Amino acid sequence: MKRTIRAAFLGLVFAVLAGTAAHAVSESFKGMIYDNGPLKATDSKLKVRVGEQAPDFTLRSISGKKVSLSDYKGKNNVVISFIPAAWTPVCSDQWPGYALAQDVFKKNEAMVLGISTDNIPSLYAWTSQMNGVWFPVLSDFWPHGEVARMYGVLRSDGTADRTILIVDKKGRIRYIGLHSINTRPPLEEIIQELERIR
Amino acid sequence: MSRTFTAGLGMLLFLFFFTALPLGAQDPREEHLRALNSLSLYAPEDAGERQYLGLKDAPEKISLGRIEAEVLIVEVFSMYCPHCQRHAPDANKLYHALDSREEFRNKIKMIGIGIGNSPYEVGLFREKYDPPFPLFDDRGSAVVGTLSGIYTPHYFGLKMKDGSIREIFYSESGAFSDAEAFLDMIVEESGIQRGGNS
Repeated sequence: MKRTIRAAFLGLVFAVLAGTAAHAVSESFKGMIYDNGPLKATDSKLKVRVGEQAPDFTLRSISGKKVSLSDYKGKNNVVISFIPAAWTPVCSDQWPGYALAQDVFKKNEAMVLGISTDNIPSLYAWTSQMNGVWFPVLSDFWPHGEVARMYGVLRSDGTADRTILIVDKKGRIRYIGLHSINTRPPLEEIIQELERIR
Repeated sequence: MSRTFTAGLGMLLFLFFFTALPLGAQDPREEHLRALNSLSLYAPEDAGERQYLGLKDAPEKISLGRIEAEVLIVEVFSMYCPHCQRHAPDANKLYHALDSREEFRNKIKMIGIGIGNSPYEVGLFREKYDPPFPLFDDRGSAVVGTLSGIYTPHYFGLKMKDGSIREIFYSESGAFSDAEAFLDMIVEESGIQRGGNS
């Protein structure tokens, strides 16, 4: 009986929280978003630290090209943006802002690498609905979540935690922001960190 | 322990059935009217914008009802919303169409509210699209936490009287393509009388 009451209590807590979770969704994605409600904020354990060399990786982008982190060594600071999943509310409301801030990223000599464990067709369709983005969108689908696992941001359900890493031109990690899966990281936080390493 | 659970369960049941369900069944315009009247937003700092809105001596934070207008057009947008980015030039055309109609210029005012957007994020949107009308930010997430069930961009047409919003006569998510036609519709739906400077 006690267990039933506890289950009902937790279920209601979830229902009330889900009902009050507020997020603005663009008309661009009306009827296309899969909203699974609030999830466990983070579900991974970082394997990298600020000050360390960022582990190199090579992934295929939605343009079909292979992109490596080391391609940018000596040329650009890199903002690695792991997002949990295409066609979900917060993720669909994150990269379009980075698209708008292209000039600010450029001013800070930064390239964004967007990474998701979704497959390429899904990522292609999703980012097309955003009107495209100016930075490479990389699929960490197969071997599934290998790069996310290497960085320690792979969640137990195979998606990635919402994480921002800033890697300087020498390949050193200068900032790690492991954010709640349920909220969008503030853009100014990323830009402030970039300005700090300029 | 079980007493705590029973009390908690009782409270949640109360919240769920006497708060959440009736709200869901209500007319969204009624709910939005209450929400818009309850908002307290940071007034623009720009002197020209303050003058346009009649906020010359207004405090740091204002309610929308404080804005001097008979009719207020509110575009709820987000800098993260691809549709809002594409629509920005048309929103600017709406303001210019309004400004060119002398008979309504001082009676109908227009603002934008960046839902869920920080001052920095709204600033980026302003820098990119140079809107000629005042933009409000959503620091503290007051708007995103209050206005539910809308997609961005969303337009509200509001009738104003005696320092508050009296009626929402227009409320639609999505962009318009013809600014002049949209303004004609706002004029007609609001029932506003033609007139010179008021």
